[in-house]
Amino acid sequence: MKHGYKNPIIKMKKILYIILLFSTVLTACNKTLDIDSARVVGEKNMWNKLEDTRAGLLGVYALTRAALYDNDGHWLYGDVRTGEFISPNRQDLKAIASNKLNASYPTIEALSDWTRFFAIVNAANIFLERVADVKAADKRYTENNMLVDVAQIRFLRAFAYFYMVRIWGDVPFITASHDGQFENKPRESQAKILVWAEQEILKAAADLPFIYSSGDVQQPGNYYNEDSGRWGGALATKNTAYAVLAHLAAWQGNYTNVATYAKFVEDNYGKSGINFQSTEDLTKSNGFFFDKNNSQIFGLGSVWGHIDGAVAGHIEELTLAEPVVNKKVPDIYMPKDTIIKIFDQINDERFSFDTLGQPRTERYFTNINGKYPIFSKIKVIQGGVSDPTFRYFTSALIFTRLEDVVLLRAEALAVLGDQNGAINEMVNVMARRGITTININKEVIDMVFEERHRELMGEGQRWYDLIRYNKIKQNNPAFLSLINSQGIYWPISRKLISQNNLLTQNPFWK
Amino acid sequence: MRYLWLCFVVFTAITTNALTGLAKGNEGGISKINYFAFINDTTVRRDTAKKDSLLRDNANIVKRRTIYDLLADSLTKKPSELSLFPAVSLQQLLKGQFAGLYIQEPSGEPGSVQNMFIRGAPMPLLSPRDVYQSQPLVVLDGIPLVTEHPFAFDIQQYDFNRIGPATNIFAGIDMNNIASVEVLKDLAATAVYGSRAVNGVIVLSSKTPRATRSVTFDSYIGLAQRPHVTTINGKYENAFRQRFYDLYTTNGRYSDDENYPIYLSDSLNNVYSGKSDWSDLYYRNALVYGINLGISGGTDRANFRFSLGNLKNEGVADGTGINRYSAMFNINMKPLKWLVFSTMVNANRLERDRNRNLRDRFAQINYFPDLSAPLPPNKDYYANYIAQYKKGFDNNKTNIIDGYARIGIELGKFNFSATFSVDYNEGYRDVFYARTLLQGNSYASNYFGFSQRLMMDNKATYDLKLNNIHEFHFEVGQSVQWDTYKYSNAYAYKGVNDFIKINLLDSKPKNDDGSDNPNYLNPVAFPRELTYRFLDKTRDNLVSMYAKTDYTFKGKYSLSATIRADGSSNAQPTSRWFYSPVLAAAWNVKKEVLKDNTRISELILRASAGRLGRLNAFDNYSQGPQYTASVGYTGNLTVPGYNAFGVLTRPYSTGWIGYGIPWSYSNQLNWGMDAGLLNNRLRFSFDWYTKNEKNLLIGIPAYAEYGYKQSIESGMAINNSGIDVTITANIINHTKFGWTSALNLNHNANKLKSLPRGLSQIIIDNKLLKVGHPVDQYWLLVNDGIYTSNSQIPVVNGQPLKYNGTPLQAGDPKWRDLNGDNVIDDNDKTLSGHSLPQVSGGFDNNFRYGNWNLNLNFYFNLGRNLINQEMANRFDFINREGNSDVNSVKEITFWEKRGDYNKYPLYNPWSTVIPYRVDQNLFLENASFLKLRALSLGYDFTKTFQAKKIKLTRFYVYATVNNVFTITPYTGQDPELVNYDGYDTGYGQPIPRTYTLGVKMEL
Repeated sequence: MKHGYKNPIIKMKKILYIILLFSTVLTACNKTLDIDSARVVGEKNMWNKLEDTRAGLLGVYALTRAALYDNDGHWLYGDVRTGEFISPNRQDLKAIASNKLNASYPTIEALSDWTRFFAIVNAANIFLERVADVKAADKRYTENNMLVDVAQIRFLRAFAYFYMVRIWGDVPFITASHDGQFENKPRESQAKILVWAEQEILKAAADLPFIYSSGDVQQPGNYYNEDSGRWGGALATKNTAYAVLAHLAAWQGNYTNVATYAKFVEDNYGKSGINFQSTEDLTKSNGFFFDKNNSQIFGLGSVWGHIDGAVAGHIEELTLAEPVVNKKVPDIYMPKDTIIKIFDQINDERFSFDTLGQPRTERYFTNINGKYPIFSKIKVIQGGVSDPTFRYFTSALIFTRLEDVVLLRAEALAVLGDQNGAINEMVNVMARRGITTININKEVIDMVFEERHRELMGEGQRWYDLIRYNKIKQNNPAFLSLINSQGIYWPISRKLISQNNLLTQNPFWK
Repeated sequence: MRYLWLCFVVFTAITTNALTGLAKGNEGGISKINYFAFINDTTVRRDTAKKDSLLRDNANIVKRRTIYDLLADSLTKKPSELSLFPAVSLQQLLKGQFAGLYIQEPSGEPGSVQNMFIRGAPMPLLSPRDVYQSQPLVVLDGIPLVTEHPFAFDIQQYDFNRIGPATNIFAGIDMNNIASVEVLKDLAATAVYGSRAVNGVIVLSSKTPRATRSVTFDSYIGLAQRPHVTTINGKYENAFRQRFYDLYTTNGRYSDDENYPIYLSDSLNNVYSGKSDWSDLYYRNALVYGINLGISGGTDRANFRFSLGNLKNEGVADGTGINRYSAMFNINMKPLKWLVFSTMVNANRLERDRNRNLRDRFAQINYFPDLSAPLPPNKDYYANYIAQYKKGFDNNKTNIIDGYARIGIELGKFNFSATFSVDYNEGYRDVFYARTLLQGNSYASNYFGFSQRLMMDNKATYDLKLNNIHEFHFEVGQSVQWDTYKYSNAYAYKGVNDFIKINLLDSKPKNDDGSDNPNYLNPVAFPRELTYRFLDKTRDNLVSMYAKTDYTFKGKYSLSATIRADGSSNAQPTSRWFYSPVLAAAWNVKKEVLKDNTRISELILRASAGRLGRLNAFDNYSQGPQYTASVGYTGNLTVPGYNAFGVLTRPYSTGWIGYGIPWSYSNQLNWGMDAGLLNNRLRFSFDWYTKNEKNLLIGIPAYAEYGYKQSIESGMAINNSGIDVTITANIINHTKFGWTSALNLNHNANKLKSLPRGLSQIIIDNKLLKVGHPVDQYWLLVNDGIYTSNSQIPVVNGQPLKYNGTPLQAGDPKWRDLNGDNVIDDNDKTLSGHSLPQVSGGFDNNFRYGNWNLNLNFYFNLGRNLINQEMANRFDFINREGNSDVNSVKEITFWEKRGDYNKYPLYNPWSTVIPYRVDQNLFLENASFLKLRALSLGYDFTKTFQAKKIKLTRFYVYATVNNVFTITPYTGQDPELVNYDGYDTGYGQPIPRTYTLGVKMEL
């Protein structure tokens, strides 16, 4: 071995080995560098398969959920802003309740920012632009599947715009992804957007089935190979579209359409497996708000079994405290005086006093005589239990449900002059809450709104109800001046205005 | 394909060289180990200043100045020359020792993460991700060490700590095994290390085996002294707040629904208003010790070194501490005259006891319990909390293994080495918090993560000398690095009881009857619905090649040119490769013109210029437009999907990433001078540098109407320029008595040169990045006092002056309307202060008398400011009370009085303009300081023993006091205890005064 290298053959062999060793390193060279990320999906690996459209579609739902849950926005916009709830500790909520929306709190800044809604719009736009790629590439993706997917996406996009104009009035109007060629857009008139949104939802409604994976003619077979149990309450149906249309028309003040759209739901809710809720089901912790179910006409769930729950993003985070959960002071509560004023109906199963002045039930309010009456209508703790130790909530965010649609129709009929029709609709809901004797001692429209207040409390509706009510009544100068000066809208985040110089601040908040 | 060809050409060159080399090698003479193969960097060695150090460790290789060393600005120190500091981490040891290396030690908690910056921060430090990308490369024996990747922050709502053990990886280096530490700052020195070296390099060389048999023994033991603090109780805090109520309320309530905290209002409550002696349980006198035993031996042809060490460092606060076990094994073999084989394995285990901060715990568990009653200041009640805490555990373990195997072929002028190296760090964090700690809910979490770097590295050199006039050194190198970072993290709430402390899974795949078990791998002790599991993995591969030529003319002029090609998997496919040149030159003035000058014993001028690529730390930038699940919301970032299906959306919350992102790079220019006067008794080293970081990525807040939080774009440019000065003086050099003094300092100024799209400024959260201004400045309103009555508030158009649309009232701050537009808003904020020091450095003094040594080591920062957020939080109590969120968390240290409360006006804390907001100069303070970091006294017994014929190479005993005093105008706690952003949250644990006694022995 000592003299081995004098042998040229052995020497050549050594060199060969060295070359071989290096060439293995070399071939690895480019392979080493062309690796796909394990963390994100690049454009080339998206929009090829049926699973991609499913991920994209449900992504838009998830973004909608995130937008409404974020900072408990749905309830801060809808319930807290009215000032009917009071916050003992949270300065930011106090500011919202007193309409000081220029105050410098992170929550208020976050709620002035519409980015998360435009994420819904952008994801929807990308979906609409790219869905044809999947159709072309994957034979499993049927024409009908695409039609239903596209209808849902269009519905969600229009819904996002509808939600935004209620908060900010005029907003930029974008219906294409502009991927990579983004351009700043100015705000577009609210009225125009609403007209477009109505048309979009109508078009979507035409293609949406009443129910998924249950033999609906418009959606034959199992949707994405999953049965009806998987999809019930999770996706938008034809009824969802009409219920949202009724809301949209009400916001426009077009009550003829409200009546029409609401009637559609009243006539067809059974086809989607939707039902009225008993007071017990509405308020128990594993009832209507728990999990997902068909009766949630438009619900964005946080399903316990799917590990979707969280501390944040649920109304329970704001309202619940001792004795319902182990938190000393609630973020918001409704004072006893206010409660007594609102719940003035005898035998109301939601909340009413008995002849001895004691609360009949604790369904809507717990600890009524304590320092902080706890608004406990919605209390989906963990898997629908009453365990107070862990503030982990799984309630679904309900944008609309059957009782809401019925009361909307009552409102429409009252405005349109059909007082009896309105009373019938209203009684339909009130009777289910145990209110058997109803005194028609004031204007029907007032009674409808009072019932809406009771029935839909804590569902993010009250602020918009107040606006509609005051537009109808025209008798509250302070509120009317707020409407006329656009003080009913939120300021646009100063951060957004500095990013996009085409934007203007809402005049009230300048 | 052309890259393949390039690779091929390089290797043909290497192999043909090897061919001739092999042939020549046969003629070789007597076999003797040449250390070339063992020392990876041949080009950057420099003699250390001839400092009469406290210790002379003759086991260390004294590196000779070679001609190539003239080119680079680097500093070498032997660990024994650094202060005798009971340091846990490399950072602590290097702090204040090298001009241009700035160390942040945001907490005295042993083993916690510390940041290093060489010649300033190359980018704005907006998040831990930026800090990670600004760190210098640490190289141990040619292995570029891997650190914990910040991608885990993606699933975290709060970035106080990275999930997992969050242990400082560089606490895992036993400095007793290190022969020399070099800090490489300019491209002439760093270029050979490639793109990872763009922020500078710290080169650690381990002690090499020697043929003579030797045993070394180093040990110290010491005591970290409990800090003295002033404690307060509920009564004190109540009195503090009462002043605001007296001023701004009529009946002690600001509004009807005002809720005054019960723990303060009840003055008879012994729990809060009694004695405040919690500090007895929180602070302690702590033990520190270290021990290392090394054995070296063998023959000329085969030798080894083996060492074992243990270090324990207890923190003085909150029961923290770290325990390290280390082992290192080096072996060299020379089976043939021309063939050297060497290998090294370095294994360390770190076990860390972490703090019990509530904030960190709640952030970890992502749940805020009811916070209406904070921890009580009374020891008896606080003890109860600690007892509950101790029912659970918080185990943090890190294993670090690195090593290499190297084959060196030495054929006279031609040398070749091939190295395979591995660096693997794994971290475990197992947590269990008992039910009693969290209102009846237990919490268990298990984290395992690793960072792994594999590297193949080949290098060939050829030296050529012509007529003793021209000297050439040619070098080609090639390396491939494969990095993998991965973690799995699971946590669960509400275990069945406090006895099952781990998240057990159903381990039976089949039921007894043979059917599939539907609950297989489901948790059994914790509810499935409250169990969260996360996995993440990212890879980062790097292929590099370089060629380098050095040329020296008559030993007077040196020139060096390097050209590199680096290909990264994290770069976009259209710009995978980056080519960069580096040029360096040096002129030995002494040899040329000052030959006969007796005063000037050395004078060298150096210059280097060039470019080095900067790697993307995140692989998603290589993908262009992409999809991920970005559907979380505040308080629940990690939403798993919708309806139990995974979803894909654009990365709205991280930001838009487009195509066409080029490599980012750094252009650097360095000019330096080394001079020795009076027989080198006074040595002076001066460097001026300018570093231009180009094409940095930055998230521009944009495209909100397309759903994105920001658009991540390339094109930010930042300049860091400054000077490094090192002066060493051998003031007295008597045989009996000596005094040497060394001063090092760095002045650095950073400036934003440009932003993407030619923007002149962008606002990111509370920071303004403005072209032409430094990036480490704070963006603040100017506070001019207080409006004590409404009549003082300027009236604009009939309305009082507004802050962001809200009219100011009496009790609000008087903020200056800088732009004169009669409204106060962000446009009235101004850039002021610096979070990074403008001047930092150290001053070292050594006195020798006979066998005695005395050392004084000073450390200073000048021109540095910080925001006293802890103080702001105390005054802003209205917004930080009683809610279940991070702002309402009060640590036990809430009951410690820090700072001067009387400096601040009494604003109306209820005001919606938030008068005590931190973005105003009210809380900006000068945080310059001077510290006596170490004072040590040593005695060398070597001669004494040798005189007694005891066979002994060295015996040295020393005593040290560390952290003796701090001089600073800052009113909060120690001005060092601040994180990278410059906001003093009060979470830094004190750096204690430590007394140690140590011995260094060599047989």
